Amino acid sequence: MPSIDLVNATVEFPIYNARGRSLRNTLLQRVGGAVSTEADGVTVTALRDVNLSLRNGDRLAIVGHNGAGKSTLLRVFSGAYEPSSGQADIVGNVASLLDITMGMDPELTGAENIILRGVFLGKTIDEARKMIPEVVEFSELGEYVDLPMRTYSSGMTLRLAFAISTARAPDILLLDELISVGDSVFAAKARQRIEAMMQHASILVLASHDAKTLRKYCNRAIMMSEGRLVADGTVDEVLSAYGLVDEDDGKL
Amino acid sequence: MSLRPTSRDWSLANKDFAQGMRSWQIWTLMGVSDIRQRYKRSRFGQFWITLSMAVFVGGIGIVFSALFNQSVAEYVPYLAVNYIIWTFMSGVVSDSTTAFVQGTVFLRQENLPKSIFAMRVIVRNLIALAHNLIILPPVFLIFGVVPSWAILLAIPGLAMMLVAAFLVTLLCGILCTRFRDLPQIIANLLQLAFFLTPIMWRIDQLGDSGWWVLHLNPFAIFLRIVADPIRGYVPETLDYVSAAVVIGILLAITWPLFARFRARIVYWL
Repeated sequence: MPSIDLVNATVEFPIYNARGRSLRNTLLQRVGGAVSTEADGVTVTALRDVNLSLRNGDRLAIVGHNGAGKSTLLRVFSGAYEPSSGQADIVGNVASLLDITMGMDPELTGAENIILRGVFLGKTIDEARKMIPEVVEFSELGEYVDLPMRTYSSGMTLRLAFAISTARAPDILLLDELISVGDSVFAAKARQRIEAMMQHASILVLASHDAKTLRKYCNRAIMMSEGRLVADGTVDEVLSAYGLVDEDDGKL
Repeated sequence: MSLRPTSRDWSLANKDFAQGMRSWQIWTLMGVSDIRQRYKRSRFGQFWITLSMAVFVGGIGIVFSALFNQSVAEYVPYLAVNYIIWTFMSGVVSDSTTAFVQGTVFLRQENLPKSIFAMRVIVRNLIALAHNLIILPPVFLIFGVVPSWAILLAIPGLAMMLVAAFLVTLLCGILCTRFRDLPQIIANLLQLAFFLTPIMWRIDQLGDSGWWVLHLNPFAIFLRIVADPIRGYVPETLDYVSAAVVIGILLAITWPLFARFRARIVYWL
């Protein structure tokens, strides 16, 4: 069964300025001593002692202001950041749609990009090649698929990226805002596809500022503030704690 | 902050390596794309690698054979083999400095084994090596060098060199991600190593001190176990022992470092 368990998960980023990052300073720090106290550098704590368990069927909404730690939390869920202290155990196949254009190369053709991304999803090169017709059909790229991606309009690039990123059925799906791409016709099609992916996923995590979206797709919510988990409950409970007492659906 | 890896660190590092090796399709594809991308819009494409090597070996070969008072027929094949192997070694070391920084977009988003990014550097340089080796048959033909069965010994030599290359890439990759001055330092050291390694000159030109250059310089050790067999000489047993010792030392430094700081790499990007 897919699951996510965070125990006192803390993510602290050391901020190195040009000085702190040089070898010279580290050597001097070890040898000297006087400089070391202040040369230790600044640390940004993006997540602080987060405890959280997600199980099959959980649809988690993450709310919080900019810089509250939503994206960092998503990156911990994806396994990209292993907590600097505490633990994160993630069981299951994770799809993280934080940056859907990840790893796409403008010099490669659409088809080559599909294969490259397919292999990153854990497919063999042959299996990835078999994805091409379906992805091309969905993204409506037509003959452009054999041209280098740099010749695409930005809309076409996004369509391709979206079609590739959603061509799988993960156990755990991580979303930073609902992705919307393309014109209205394509957007509707894309919405349908991502909803199907959400339904199939055993665990869904959605970070959003849109109360309406969160109410529609989620059954549990947490609120982040300055890297701490400050509220955990149903979507309505957390949203009202967040200051959205009014039942009006709107942007937070 | 403790420098000692915990047992969890060790097992995660081993898992990273095992998973990384299993993901060979990823690193092969990434390495191939790197080369393709570099030469994408040029007419000769990746064969510029071969052409550049031919120009260098031809030009330097003629000038230096005159300078060293050696016959062109002897010196050019000597230089060609050495320089091709050196290009691989120096290519790996200089690419290793950006191994992880280059993979920032991937590392920030997904839980990919870190060893993938070291293997990508190896694959990229192996492809370049393959393109450079193309010039050897014509060079041998022109200058009448007849390879002997000893050439088969280049295979175990290359295998040992690849193991060392993987460890060096992980080691430099981690350190250079953390310390951003290191890539410059390494670039300068590489230049120095080029002159301290018998690539353009012969070891007997150094006289008695030559032994030390040969046996304390890891580049010279790996150069001998790969380049000598190609030229038809059987390396000494001591050369293989030296290579094994270098690999052992690299392993003893790299693996604890990797176990301890593997998870920190993404924080340093």
